Amino acid sequence: MEAAEPPMSPVTQSMANRPILRIGRLLLRLAIAALFLFAAITKLVDPSSFAQQIANYQLTPWPATAVLSVFLPALELCVGISLLLGRWEGGALVWVAILLTIFSGALLSAIVRGLSIDCGCFGRSIENTGTLWPLIRNLALLVVTGFLWFSRNKK
Amino acid sequence: MTALRQAGLILLIAVGLAGVTAAVHPKRPPFLAPPRDPNEVTLAQTKPWAGNILWVDARSESEFAAEHIPDAVCLNFENWNEQFPKFLDRYSPGQRVVVYCSAISCQLSREIAAKLKASGVDGTYFLEGGWEAWKQQNHP
Repeated sequence: MEAAEPPMSPVTQSMANRPILRIGRLLLRLAIAALFLFAAITKLVDPSSFAQQIANYQLTPWPATAVLSVFLPALELCVGISLLLGRWEGGALVWVAILLTIFSGALLSAIVRGLSIDCGCFGRSIENTGTLWPLIRNLALLVVTGFLWFSRNKK
Repeated sequence: MTALRQAGLILLIAVGLAGVTAAVHPKRPPFLAPPRDPNEVTLAQTKPWAGNILWVDARSESEFAAEHIPDAVCLNFENWNEQFPKFLDRYSPGQRVVVYCSAISCQLSREIAAKLKASGVDGTYFLEGGWEAWKQQNHP
């Protein structure tokens, strides 16, 4: 007797009928993978410098800041590789959503406190991006992540 | 495998990778205390420079407007293009430039000091403890 297949979400059903949506989804997944890989590599080049950028947010004591400066790029790298290869996609999307939410919260708190700081989203590779535009970008990426989550193949 | 289990495995691999980075990366940060920079000065160290210091406030313009060290220049990443020429008008070669931000946990003064140095402003330092240290000493 064959095992019953899990029910498809409406988004997944719609995609099954439209190849253009499948291609669009693949491109979005690869775009997020590229973004996370770029973010990870630019930070891993110089964790000390990234630690200073985290410290500018004035949210964590130094030891936690130093730990985050090596942990966050490592996590971003794993998530980026996972999305690039299309393996463990569900788990990677969970982390993308968690990280984007945390980053957005930090950016929002910096804006509320009137801190004039560099986002630090891509290490020192892109300087002086401020905090407002990165926040808007993160919120847009969260929407894309939601689409990828609900349209993923759960088999 | 469920998404949560996959997320757990990704976390484990990331922790391992972070551990390797923390152990062997030549540019890993110090984990117990922020690095001491030779350009960092205490208020006491700035005393002999009295009369020859140009203070640079790296905090936001709203914080600067609320209160700041007398005669300080407001210069941060957001207003750099607009304020840097004004800073140059006030700066004279040989003068000490001391950048400060809000508190000891703030690293922004370090970055603005580095940017000033990279822009050719010699004798640039940043203040340990920032505005809080100055205020405590001058208005306890």
